[in-house]
Amino acid sequence: MSQKPAAGLKRRTLVQAAAASAALGFPAIASAQAAPVRIGYTMARTGPWTTGAQVSQEPNYLLWAEQQNAAGGLLVKGVRRPIELIASDDRSDIETCVRSYEKLMGSDKVDLILAPWGSNANFAVAPLANRFGYPLLGPTALSRRLIEMKLPYFFSLLQQPAPMMNALVDMLKAQGVRTMTAIYVDDLFGLENYAALKVALQGTGISLLEDKSYPLGVKDLSPVLRSMKDKQPDAFVGLTYPPDTILASRQAKEIGFNPKFFYGSVGTAFQLYRNVMAASAEGVLGMGSWNSKSSPAAKAYFDAHVKKFGAAKEPDRWASGATWAGLEILTAAVAKVGLDKKAIRDFVAAGTHETLLGKIRFAGSENIGTPGTVGQWQKGEFEVVWPKANATATLIAPKPNWV
Amino acid sequence: MSLGSWAELIASGLITGGVYALVALGLNLQYGLMRILNIAHGEFLMLGAFLTWAAHESLGWSPLLMLPVSFLLLGALGLAIHRLVFRRLTLTSANLDVFEARGLMVSFGLMFLVQNFAQSVWGGDLRGYDYLAEPVAIGGAQFAGNKLLLLGLALVISGALIALLRLTLLGKGVRALMQSPTGAQLVGIDTERLHPLMFGLGLGLSGLAGCLLSMSYTISPGMGEPYTVTALIVITLGGFGSMTGALVGGLGLGVVEALGMHFSNPSLKSLLSYGIFIAVLLWRPNGLFTRK
Repeated sequence: MSQKPAAGLKRRTLVQAAAASAALGFPAIASAQAAPVRIGYTMARTGPWTTGAQVSQEPNYLLWAEQQNAAGGLLVKGVRRPIELIASDDRSDIETCVRSYEKLMGSDKVDLILAPWGSNANFAVAPLANRFGYPLLGPTALSRRLIEMKLPYFFSLLQQPAPMMNALVDMLKAQGVRTMTAIYVDDLFGLENYAALKVALQGTGISLLEDKSYPLGVKDLSPVLRSMKDKQPDAFVGLTYPPDTILASRQAKEIGFNPKFFYGSVGTAFQLYRNVMAASAEGVLGMGSWNSKSSPAAKAYFDAHVKKFGAAKEPDRWASGATWAGLEILTAAVAKVGLDKKAIRDFVAAGTHETLLGKIRFAGSENIGTPGTVGQWQKGEFEVVWPKANATATLIAPKPNWV
Repeated sequence: MSLGSWAELIASGLITGGVYALVALGLNLQYGLMRILNIAHGEFLMLGAFLTWAAHESLGWSPLLMLPVSFLLLGALGLAIHRLVFRRLTLTSANLDVFEARGLMVSFGLMFLVQNFAQSVWGGDLRGYDYLAEPVAIGGAQFAGNKLLLLGLALVISGALIALLRLTLLGKGVRALMQSPTGAQLVGIDTERLHPLMFGLGLGLSGLAGCLLSMSYTISPGMGEPYTVTALIVITLGGFGSMTGALVGGLGLGVVEALGMHFSNPSLKSLLSYGIFIAVLLWRPNGLFTRK
């Protein structure tokens, strides 16, 4: 027994030595050019946020760092410096998330930070980033309250609940919809979007026949959907997260609830939705803002993503685009003003930024450059169908029957 | 509400309840017989679901074929885990209470282990596939084929298990062990053989449930935990060790939830299930179906 620890120790020393020599070896080549730009973030790799984070966000960070490094590094005021990502798993836990960012900004003093996943985590990290003076471009935060905190260093890339719901209601009104039923997840995302939907419906003549909230992780929505089916609404709106978006769609199909317009929120724009619903996806509406036809930049991004992660892992047609747009803005900012965090913040706040989603500019923390949009599955692609200026295809209405 | 709507509502409750029952039966075998409160039970359901999904995606196997396969694989895994972990625990624990407390801790560990294993092998993405999702009309009501299959199989398997325990010598031995472990050993019932077998059977059942669930729901490494919690409620309802109780309790809870969601709000579902849980613990602490 007494031999064992010694052997273990020796092995550990060896490993350490190997690691140290590797660590010394590689940066030695890199530092011949320039010191790396250290960029920190936490991401949900385990826990309930993972499904969204690993589709819409982290793959993009990895792709971006790889692309920049392949080009010789991130351009910092005319000098290319390699990107070193310092990332950890936040286990879908806000406490871990906050502590990790505190460490990244307070003691590690990384050069830049990237945002964590989701409204809740951004809600916790944004004030912190503000205190440390780090610009934070949040691609997956959808909350009015976050905007209303008026944090000068925080920027939200996704279109907020009001423009998204306004776009949806405008489109439904133009299609002559008179009645609607809605379900919403009872958290910040669902409640804010539901409130925005109610506001958007005012004065449109569309009546909300029934609305019900449900908890995260719900396993059965059919009792609710059956009662909605009996009311025969023109449109169904689900303010839902990915598992529930799919659950509601599957169960609506099962019970033969096929309103003229069927809308699901997060996850409708995922490739998974098409895999699971197969031909039944046709005509389903949802939150989506781009696809590879939106712009040449969007096409290039889509192709690069598929090339790196494979055809089985396409970027989703909503938040992935926002994540990439944020990285485009950050890249442009650093190229122009370097790593001075205040200067980056001013650059982001003041300018109009050319991105794959179109021109993005900010009023406070809110992206007011790109409008609220509606997407629809058409022949295996999630198309932008509203507003017409951003459309990649024309709306199919009414929705064909589930098959 | 029309008679047809009632029938639909109750049927959809029974379908959900069928899954609850299947998961609860496995957990009940482990807890009722061996006092292993296996918190990791739902994780093995998740493994069954992922195995089925993986076989369907990469090998093109039919999920129906995966039913016996995942039952056997998970059953074998159960035998291995019992041999590696719980047998040792039995030998080193001073009495049953110590064993129960230690078993609980160990199963917590197993939960993290299995969840992270799935995470590292398959990643954290949401997964799913399309199988038997076509609606089948029965009378005026419509149900997905896979859901009907789920309910049918849940009932058949539960029935088979109850018959096994009631009618065979093996079942008699198991029931004897549940009633009085010491007495059973005195009359020569071999716990060394029965315990691993029943633990394996329990895990096999959760593998089966996972396989069935993967046909109609999206799956992710975190999917198992809620089922463990529900199964705990169900076996409390039905009484520890009572298989018929677990079946009736599972189906009943499913129906109560469906009715509750229809007439109030899905957000109140947890309130409803935990309300029943607490009420049963207060008024019938031995379960609704145990005669004492």
